[in-house]
Amino acid sequence: MTNGWVDIKNTDMMLIMGGNPAENHPCGFKWAIEAKRNRNAKIISVDPRFTRTSAVADLFCQIRAGSDIAFLGGVINYAIENNRIAHEYLVNFTNAAFAVNNAFKLPGDTDGVFSGFDAGKFTYDRSTWNYAGPGAAVPAGAAPGALPPMPANVDYDLTLQNPNCVFQLLKKHYSRYTPEMVERITGIPKAQFLKAADTYTSIRKDGDMKQVGTVIYAVGWTHHSFGTQIIRTAAMLQLLLGNVGRAGGGVNALRGHSNIQGATDMAGLYDTLPGYLKVPTPADANFDAWMKRATPTSSQPAPWQSWNYYSNTSKFTVSLMKAFYGDAATKQNDWAFDYLPKVDRDYSWTYLWNDMYDGKVKGMLAFGMNGVAIGPDTNKNIDALKKAEWLVVGEIYPDETSEFWRSPRVLAQGDQNQIQTTVYRLPCAGFAEKDGSFSNSARWLLWKNTAVPLPGDCRLDHGIVAQIFLKVRELYNKEGGKFPDPILNLTWAYSEPQNPPLFEVLKEMNGKALADLEDPATKQQIKAGQQLPGFAWLKDDGTTSCGIWIYSGAYTEAGNQTARRDPSDPSGMGVHPGWGWSWPANRRVLYNRASCDVAGKPWDPSRKQVWWNEDSKKWVGNDVPDFKADSPPKDHMGPFIMNAEGVGRIFAPLSAFADGPFPEFYEPIESPLANLLHPERSTNPVVTKFKDTDDKFGTVKDFPIICTTFRLTEHYHYWTKNNPMNVQLVPEPFIEMAAEMADEMGIRGGEKVKVSSARGEYIAKAMVTKRIKSMLIDGKKTYQIGIPFHWGYRGIAEDEGKTARDLANQLTHTATDPNAHTPEFKGFLVKVEKV
Amino acid sequence: MSQETMRIQKMSAHAGAIPGEDTQRTYVVSKLIDTTTCIGCKACEVACMEWNDLPFGETVFDNTYQTMPETRWNYWNLILFNEHEREDGSLQWLMRKNQCMHCADPGCLAACPSDGAIIQYANGIVDFQQANCIGCGYCITGCPFNIPKFNPQTKRVYKCTLCADRVGEGLEPACIKACPTGCLHFGSKDDMKDLAEKRATQLRDHYNFPNAGVYDPAGVGGTGVMYILHDATKPELYGGLPKDPQIPLMVKLWKGPIKWLGNIAMIGGLIGLFIHYLRFGPKDREDQDIREQIALAQEKAAKAAKEKNEEEHP
Amino acid sequence: MSQPDLLLPHGRILRYHFHERLTHWVAAGSFIYLMLTGLAFWSPWLFWLALVFGGPQISRTLHPWAGLVFFFAVSYMYAMWSAQMYSTENDKEWWKNIEHYTKNEDDRMPPVGRYNPGQKLLFWGFVFCGLLLLASGVVLWFPEYIPWNLRLLRYAAVIVHPGAALLSIGLFMIHIYMSVFAERGAFGSVIRGDVSVEFAKRYHPIWYKEVVGDSTNPPK
Repeated sequence: MTNGWVDIKNTDMMLIMGGNPAENHPCGFKWAIEAKRNRNAKIISVDPRFTRTSAVADLFCQIRAGSDIAFLGGVINYAIENNRIAHEYLVNFTNAAFAVNNAFKLPGDTDGVFSGFDAGKFTYDRSTWNYAGPGAAVPAGAAPGALPPMPANVDYDLTLQNPNCVFQLLKKHYSRYTPEMVERITGIPKAQFLKAADTYTSIRKDGDMKQVGTVIYAVGWTHHSFGTQIIRTAAMLQLLLGNVGRAGGGVNALRGHSNIQGATDMAGLYDTLPGYLKVPTPADANFDAWMKRATPTSSQPAPWQSWNYYSNTSKFTVSLMKAFYGDAATKQNDWAFDYLPKVDRDYSWTYLWNDMYDGKVKGMLAFGMNGVAIGPDTNKNIDALKKAEWLVVGEIYPDETSEFWRSPRVLAQGDQNQIQTTVYRLPCAGFAEKDGSFSNSARWLLWKNTAVPLPGDCRLDHGIVAQIFLKVRELYNKEGGKFPDPILNLTWAYSEPQNPPLFEVLKEMNGKALADLEDPATKQQIKAGQQLPGFAWLKDDGTTSCGIWIYSGAYTEAGNQTARRDPSDPSGMGVHPGWGWSWPANRRVLYNRASCDVAGKPWDPSRKQVWWNEDSKKWVGNDVPDFKADSPPKDHMGPFIMNAEGVGRIFAPLSAFADGPFPEFYEPIESPLANLLHPERSTNPVVTKFKDTDDKFGTVKDFPIICTTFRLTEHYHYWTKNNPMNVQLVPEPFIEMAAEMADEMGIRGGEKVKVSSARGEYIAKAMVTKRIKSMLIDGKKTYQIGIPFHWGYRGIAEDEGKTARDLANQLTHTATDPNAHTPEFKGFLVKVEKV
Repeated sequence: MSQETMRIQKMSAHAGAIPGEDTQRTYVVSKLIDTTTCIGCKACEVACMEWNDLPFGETVFDNTYQTMPETRWNYWNLILFNEHEREDGSLQWLMRKNQCMHCADPGCLAACPSDGAIIQYANGIVDFQQANCIGCGYCITGCPFNIPKFNPQTKRVYKCTLCADRVGEGLEPACIKACPTGCLHFGSKDDMKDLAEKRATQLRDHYNFPNAGVYDPAGVGGTGVMYILHDATKPELYGGLPKDPQIPLMVKLWKGPIKWLGNIAMIGGLIGLFIHYLRFGPKDREDQDIREQIALAQEKAAKAAKEKNEEEHP
Repeated sequence: MSQPDLLLPHGRILRYHFHERLTHWVAAGSFIYLMLTGLAFWSPWLFWLALVFGGPQISRTLHPWAGLVFFFAVSYMYAMWSAQMYSTENDKEWWKNIEHYTKNEDDRMPPVGRYNPGQKLLFWGFVFCGLLLLASGVVLWFPEYIPWNLRLLRYAAVIVHPGAALLSIGLFMIHIYMSVFAERGAFGSVIRGDVSVEFAKRYHPIWYKEVVGDSTNPPK
């Protein structure tokens, strides 16, 4: 989230789309209700189904799953056409005025792809996706295929009239997303769409800048083969309306689990290092080459300034290497650059399972996840596990993954006895059985204490991992090996190596001084060995170590900041500066400089976050200013300090995204019709599909119904089918379908139906409801169904043989988003039959 | 709130005065349920189960998100889910937390024949005292909201206690504590009424609910659980919430006029029969019998005398 | 067409066979229990009655079973006696003169058979009340099984049951009054089974004639 949970109470307008927070985030949703109760805020709910969120929304639009970009693009078009935009914000705080390379072409002009598309390799040469200006040429001697840098000084036109400026390109691009086109693609009737667009953009009626709107989403947006671009569209809309950086605004991702934010922060993905640092690739010859590629250079109109905070990348990275390898990382050995694996290709989830399917991955440690159930195409994953030599599962319940040979299809095939995989199931600790911190969606780190002792033979997950590591290190010590250095030199300075205390891990993440340090400006001193107060102290000379730069400040000499529990909120704006600790630097709303006009005065005096204090010549406020504290407004430093441009990116240049600098609507991989904008280029052009036996894709001829998966308040993933209370609340799996569709098929509520995709089948009882309706997609009547995914073949009712033993992901396919690598769980094709 | 407010001011089937009646200033508590901000998350259902340690029961899928069709003896708090299409074609998914309404004038208490099985505290909470319950189920009939539920094993009736045990210690009921959206409120009845009216006004003025209003039905003297409804003119849409709930007429008749007429008739009958006896006595008076016997004896004696006379004077 | 088997020595006539007397007392016993426990639930002022019978829970548990016993007893009575309970032409005359009956001027009453119209009314009253009490009692026995949309049944039951009970209590009081206080010998008849010739002649002259048949053969 750019903002935070509590901050939602400050909003006037909520577009909740690709998420169902009332269902999945009921506790956080209180703030949406607060906004309604105290500010008369409105909620617009856009969803394939009328959800619990829709139940408290002021306007509901039923959208075809996967057509979100068409809707959002339509809203952008509406905002521009009706002048519902934040003009001053747009010109000064975004790249709207930046001129773009003349060679850049929009998909409207080039058959549905952006300029630079290689139709053979399904990739883009992104060199034209750049700003215009001096210095934007590929430097001599760069690696072949290297992208040019952004121009140091960007050409610009503050009147926004230049036909090649970002704003004009944006306008041109989305002028194709007319209300009529939106209706044909999304199935939302034109009048209803216009009502939604009018309601949302009404906050900028007549140029008013006081009101704020927020966009709230979750995995309903990420689970698509163009998920990242949906979020991009929302971000652009928010920039256009001047909603980013402001209390009650922003683009707010609601994370599905209590600590998913922490998992991403800590590099749960293969292509980042902790703190979103870029991983080295084989093309990076040494540490400096890596840093050169990873560190952006500032790029903005000549009279403006850009802080370009990522220019500090080497400080973050060297400190990280010192945290990893301690004294073994020295300037002489390139900060142990050679110890790091070099990422040569896509190692994301579906690729890992595919590698196991292909026999390349021999074993798996599965902790804190039920891999067979949560990934797409369950049957493929099970087939992959059949080929693995070993599987270690650490779980709190016997789950589907650790008993993958009991899946309905394996039972049907009867080849259980041929499976040779050795499975070790280790009882692990539940969240209440260990301490540690959660990083929530609002980027708040909140320490928790152990609530109950470990039952039986359970062990802490990280203790198990630590003991495996120590054993491996012992083997390397004894037997040597090809490259023992990264293992033998890994820092492991915990008071209890077998079970590292988590507060020590947090201290390590925060970072410490390795030598006596002094801030030249304030003369503040830090002794060697002391905890760092924040990432501003990080150095790239080896005198600091820090496990994740954005968490620096979480555990200082003052103690564990994440354990703070001061509920006071002096501003009344839900900042709660003494409650836990949020990254970065305990800042609650990111880019909050943008909450002020160019002169540094808050857009809305009743919601003052930060402001320029002319007397002290400093940015001050109720929140920690996300800005260079002493940069006066007249210097025109951009508020988006993490971008090299200093401004918000309506146009995302160069390598930012794999599939285009502007989001374009593409159909889901399995879709009932060809893309109405460009039928020949229907789906995301850079998405590729696996071609194994299990990777089958269906067409509308055989599978006419659109299917989406979802979650229920009453259940938590695949856990709570083991809890009698939750089982009582919702005892059985079901399939939500429109009453009209059920009537046509002669299905009554509670009767069993079979849903089949090209991959597999799913049988459950029908939930016949008015909350899903038929829709006209390009004039053709189309139905959608929804499947809550919480059941499987282990659980209270499952063990008693009372419910279907299918996993919903038997239906889903493995095509993923090219940027985030998230599979397309939502909006695939199925057929429905009465059993 | 102290335990003082747990003094009893109404008691079922109690002869004579109620020990706590009018012995203190009343401080009536109330729940306020804002159905317009309920998201049907069922946290209240779980909190109720947890606080009251209610045993789990079995449920079956019934084409709804609703946990079960109606409350059970071991499930006192149930959110009712109802789909409703408004006249403009838009859909409403109405969610209403259903539980005991804690009526000021409770039908259960009126119907209960067992001394002290149902009591109403000075703070308005209507509570079942299972030790005194005889399991007759009249409360089930007396309730206009279908709340009290019978446990066939213990042969006692159970329902929401408004967490009297918590409230007595100054805590809010468990459901209120658990509600994540703040759709549930708890406080003095006056405060809650005030809050409810404000919210209803807001819904009328700023949202598309011209008929928004507060449900605090006068027919049962007002309730200790009030609702804010999107459309207060149609409470039936919320899972059959009665528009004008009353203690059932038959129960009122039975506990009112019929009872007095019956008493008068029975006592009157007894007195009447007694007076009749005083006036007329038995049909076959004892003295009549004796007279008959005497007459018979005299007749016999006369006959004997006559025979003797005939013998003597043939 | 006399019924000589009913003629007993010492000027007695058998009015009730053993099985009739037994049935009567089963009905009477269950009725008294039902009435007293019922009254306990009728009024708080009589709740102590339930305590006398072992406590209110036990009373609540046994009351419906006693009700079944009463109903079966009444049903058996119906089987035994209903044929004799139908109204006759003569009865209308009797009702016209009811005032004399209440004033103990029995000699001014038209002669009646085994049962006078008042007794017949009592019988039908109990049969009628028995049916009503059973029907409403079953609903009250298992109110939890009456679904909400059939709740009218429960509402009907709570009014019918006490209503029928009151009616039957009224009949009961008259019955006791008549049998114990007004017509002495009647109480004995349902204990020992017989009545005196005088009793039969006085209260049930037609029945007496039926029993005796030809007046040439009077009972001894």
